[in-house]
Amino acid sequence: MTDTISDVSRPGGQTGLSSDEKSALPPISLRSAEFRTAREEGWRRLEDMVNRVEKNGIAALSADEAEELPLLYRSAASSLSVARSIVLDRNTLTYLENLALRAYLVVYGPRLGMMRSMAEFFKRDFPRSVRAMRWNLAIALCAMIIGVAAGYIMVRTNIDYFSIIVPRQFGDSRGPESTAEELINNELFAPWPGFVNTFVVFANSLFRHNSIVGIFSFGLGFALGIPTLLLLTYNGLIMGAFIALHERRGLAIDFIGWMSIHGVTEILAILLCGAAGLVIAEKILFPGDMSRIESLAVHGRASAGVVSGAVLLFFIAGIFEGGFRQLINNTPGRYVFAITTAALWALYFTKSGIRGEERS
Amino acid sequence: MINPSDRIETLIEGTKHRQTFIVTPEGVPLGVRRANHGERFTAFAIDMTFMLAAIIAVYMLIIPLFFSGVSIRVGMTVILFLAFVVRNMYFLHFELAWRGRTPGKRICGLLVINRFGGALTPSAIFARNLTREVEIFLPLSLLLSVQYGRNIWSGLALLGWALTITSLPFFNRGHLRAGDIIGGTQVIFMPRHTLTRDLSIDIRGAAGTKYIFTQDNLSVYGAFELQVLEELLRRPPSNDSNQTLEVICGKICRKIGWDGEIPREDANIFLREFYAAQRAELEHKQLFGHYRADKTGASSRPDWPGV
Repeated sequence: MTDTISDVSRPGGQTGLSSDEKSALPPISLRSAEFRTAREEGWRRLEDMVNRVEKNGIAALSADEAEELPLLYRSAASSLSVARSIVLDRNTLTYLENLALRAYLVVYGPRLGMMRSMAEFFKRDFPRSVRAMRWNLAIALCAMIIGVAAGYIMVRTNIDYFSIIVPRQFGDSRGPESTAEELINNELFAPWPGFVNTFVVFANSLFRHNSIVGIFSFGLGFALGIPTLLLLTYNGLIMGAFIALHERRGLAIDFIGWMSIHGVTEILAILLCGAAGLVIAEKILFPGDMSRIESLAVHGRASAGVVSGAVLLFFIAGIFEGGFRQLINNTPGRYVFAITTAALWALYFTKSGIRGEERS
Repeated sequence: MINPSDRIETLIEGTKHRQTFIVTPEGVPLGVRRANHGERFTAFAIDMTFMLAAIIAVYMLIIPLFFSGVSIRVGMTVILFLAFVVRNMYFLHFELAWRGRTPGKRICGLLVINRFGGALTPSAIFARNLTREVEIFLPLSLLLSVQYGRNIWSGLALLGWALTITSLPFFNRGHLRAGDIIGGTQVIFMPRHTLTRDLSIDIRGAAGTKYIFTQDNLSVYGAFELQVLEELLRRPPSNDSNQTLEVICGKICRKIGWDGEIPREDANIFLREFYAAQRAELEHKQLFGHYRADKTGASSRPDWPGV
């Protein structure tokens, strides 16, 4: 009985009911019912596999089953296509629709494990996405430079601006009234407080704080990027204010060295987050030839990746700031360290994953 | 009306769910039901509860640490770091490891999918979760600071602006939040449907059928009425459902011009046989290109995109 029904699209089978006959009818045999009987076993097997994968992951399948899964999925999908044109049994239709969707999600589910996809990401995707957003990065950099210049000029002309620009907890003991000596002993060349306090305690709180700020400035890109730009400028403003404060005490060169040990990495990460936020803003304002939603989805994923990468940079910067800053206790050494990290980052972001970039 | 099953769900459940389609790489459109606000809020509340419980558990670590002689500062740092990891990795981890589900979503039958029909990539999951910080935690912290702060008006303005982003799901058809838009994802409701017995096979006994329907009898209804009848017949038998079936049986007899009387205890059998005959008739006609959507005779085929 099942042989004839495989060719379901051929019209005019013998199973149509001729209801004019007045004699007792043979049991009704529906074409759609036979269609179902013939394929049900495959559906059930697929359903069982999908159930197990949903519960315990792809490892729940044996090697043979893993090989069979895509085949069963494709045959269920084609069953669904056929069923839509010949079956009026609602239960079968909803079941098939549901089964095909669940199997589809298993078959096309995420393939790479967490570690593999992370390695791929840092080797290729991260530097590529950064290169793709270089103009946004330039704008972010401009916003920050404007902030630095404004903060510098303001505090240079009038020291009172310092306490307006820098909230107290940032500057802690440092302020308009700090003397050069205090700055040297408590900040620039303060003694190293020991491994645990620097690498663990301080580095950590810096990392947490900076990451949250970075993720924020990305998310705020959704508000057309204006808060992102403000945040970047404000960061620059604080930096400029500190530079001016130290310059008044004749310590500008030492301060920049002290700051750039971690600053190179940290400012880069801040700029990356800001640039990623600006990409979001740009795609909302100027979606190009895609619809706004599509364009956001395509570019949003890449920029979210950049932010995740930036979180790692914050982590590294936190270790530099918490640990190495007071460990290297002279200005020339700090400059060497900072220039080395800058060169390494530049090399990484311009060269990594460049092979095959045009083709993909 | 895209999908005929929509209409029946609307009739039976009394609520209207929006169906959208994703098209698989094989070109088969699959209907998905987007999650509604209530379901998503419930899932989120469950996840937040779990997350808070985990964070509290992490904080509880301070007690053994206190007795072990590790300095409090180091202990607190480790704990704060762990809490940071929990807060930022909870959604990320589960959506990566459980294929777009978190414990809360799993309990509610929700699932994150790629809106455009491709694979759900790790970067999409990262994208949709990084914005959570701005969408949820920012308004929450603003809410707390408004109460205690002095600048109530600027605080309220900030809060209102932050809530605009948070309330995005209420203003678009896919119920997408900002993270879904950036990640190209969508949250859908996906129950598990089971395949139950075919009602038309069930009545085939050795004795054949008891009632015989003429062409005229079978030319009244369309697919919609047939499937509503199917739903009624699938209900578990009870006094209530039997009464409904008797009423329906009477109505159908009048409509199709059935001459004889149907004994009350036969209503079920009559309806089942009518269902089988009607389905055979409609499916037969459909094969020849005469699809009939409902009793009004509307012949519009369900319209699957991409086919």
